[in-house]
Amino acid sequence: MIRHFTVLGIAVLAGLAYPHLFPNALTIAISVLLFAGWATSWDILGGWAGQLSLGHAGFVGLGAYFVAIGQSDYGLAPWWAMMLAMIAAAALAFAWGRITFGLRGPYFTLSTIAVAEILRMIAINEGWLTGGATGVFIATLPEPFGIDLFSRVVHFHMALAFSVLTVAIVIIISQSRFGYQLRAVREDESSAMAAGINPVVVKLKAFMLSAALVALGGGIYGIFLSFLEPHILFYLFLSIQIALTAIIGGRGTIWGPSIGALLLIGSGEIFRAAFAQANLLIYGLLILVVILFLPRGIFGEIQRRAVRRRYARSTQG
Amino acid sequence: MLEALRAEGITVRFGGVTAVDHVSLTLKDGEILGLIGPNGAGKTTLFNALTGFVPAGEGRITLYGQDVTRDPPYQRTRAGMGRTFQTERPFEELTVLENVLVPAFLKTKGRHEARALALEMLDQVGLADRAEQPALDLNLARRRRLELAKALAVRPRILFLDEIMAGLNPPALREMIGFVAGLRTQGLAIVMVEHIMQAIIELSDHVIVLASGKMIAEGTPQAVTSDDRVIEAYLGTD
Repeated sequence: MIRHFTVLGIAVLAGLAYPHLFPNALTIAISVLLFAGWATSWDILGGWAGQLSLGHAGFVGLGAYFVAIGQSDYGLAPWWAMMLAMIAAAALAFAWGRITFGLRGPYFTLSTIAVAEILRMIAINEGWLTGGATGVFIATLPEPFGIDLFSRVVHFHMALAFSVLTVAIVIIISQSRFGYQLRAVREDESSAMAAGINPVVVKLKAFMLSAALVALGGGIYGIFLSFLEPHILFYLFLSIQIALTAIIGGRGTIWGPSIGALLLIGSGEIFRAAFAQANLLIYGLLILVVILFLPRGIFGEIQRRAVRRRYARSTQG
Repeated sequence: MLEALRAEGITVRFGGVTAVDHVSLTLKDGEILGLIGPNGAGKTTLFNALTGFVPAGEGRITLYGQDVTRDPPYQRTRAGMGRTFQTERPFEELTVLENVLVPAFLKTKGRHEARALALEMLDQVGLADRAEQPALDLNLARRRRLELAKALAVRPRILFLDEIMAGLNPPALREMIGFVAGLRTQGLAIVMVEHIMQAIIELSDHVIVLASGKMIAEGTPQAVTSDDRVIEAYLGTD
């Protein structure tokens, strides 16, 4: 645990230096950090608890819309709006999980697609609340302690804080009782029950925490975009991207989702600039390579080899 | 002696098939109950009904006087039941130690206490030197012992063992029989489903014989194995 927090500390220092070193490459870094945070949060449910969600874009949209509507319609400061969004996301996850966690296999996944779609339909059709298909625009934001929330550097720091928070939470979970309950439920529900674990409760907790954290990142995303369109925010492609980021990086590992974000989102942006349309092809090839040769994801394979090597060394002595 | 387990009129039906038909049994603290019968007799179904993994359509189950008939398996575990699975179910992506940590968290406070308990259980089943090994890599005999360590880590008062002797070679079998005998001296009540008669005869205080879901005989191992109905159920008549 100390080792992981040390790595995280170094990452924070690197992150704080970044805006000074690359002041013209902030936008891509913000994307990478937001995706790292979303994928890490997604992974609490998708990787650690093993419940594949393809609806997490819904929570991104929830966070972003709470901030935008809160600001434009109610004059609510973004930090309060984000807190409300987290509560709303957790409540939605609770309600949805109650209904669907009795289902096994792909049914939960299918239902998550439906949730995000329902939210998208509400965002598009309930124009009185959401601005409809044209979207919402954040025209003004408060200036806490003189900080300009429209500044890219501020967005970068918010995204950095978000991703660091999610990783820190996962580091703590990984060593805790809850973390072992999550893994037990993922590996074998019957055996988990024999260990005194109620699988539905464990999955609900994971879903609620995962949803609330993604909504927090969604709020930051809303401030970063300042113009919200329902087609982008609740879109299935965003859900898939979040899930893929975690899967390719390594499900159920501390660093996998962040590595996935660096690789997929970071390289994705570079490829898009360099190869235009061919970037999707490269994206696809990358996914294929990981699935074929690194089924546990990049960090997942590294970690597994390390465990085996450590054990082999300990028996040779 | 305290009554550990009482089951009355347990009946389990799958569609039109009655897998377990009005079976009753009692078990005292520190006793071993053997459950035998030919294949398809309903042993595992009864076992699963007692531990809560299959709902009993009729009947009543009490654990130290507490009615657990409607409780799901995880609540029965919390109330004092521990069980192994016939096909071992290690958490494959976890190490041996982490496998035992999962149940060890149930009756301990904090991860240091849980870790200490898990290591103690691994030591008890002789897997301490393999704590850091991925569970997936264990051979059959060691997977069995891991199952036992997991079942014991919930600190049960009654232990349910589902064919833990099956497939073991003679030295491993001897070791396992010795181990279960040792558990009894610690005061655990044990219910075991077993095909290996050597284990049943050496260990059981009391044996129940099932055939086609019904209890056809019960008594001491010696009485039961010489019972005509039992021989008939196993071998058939001409």
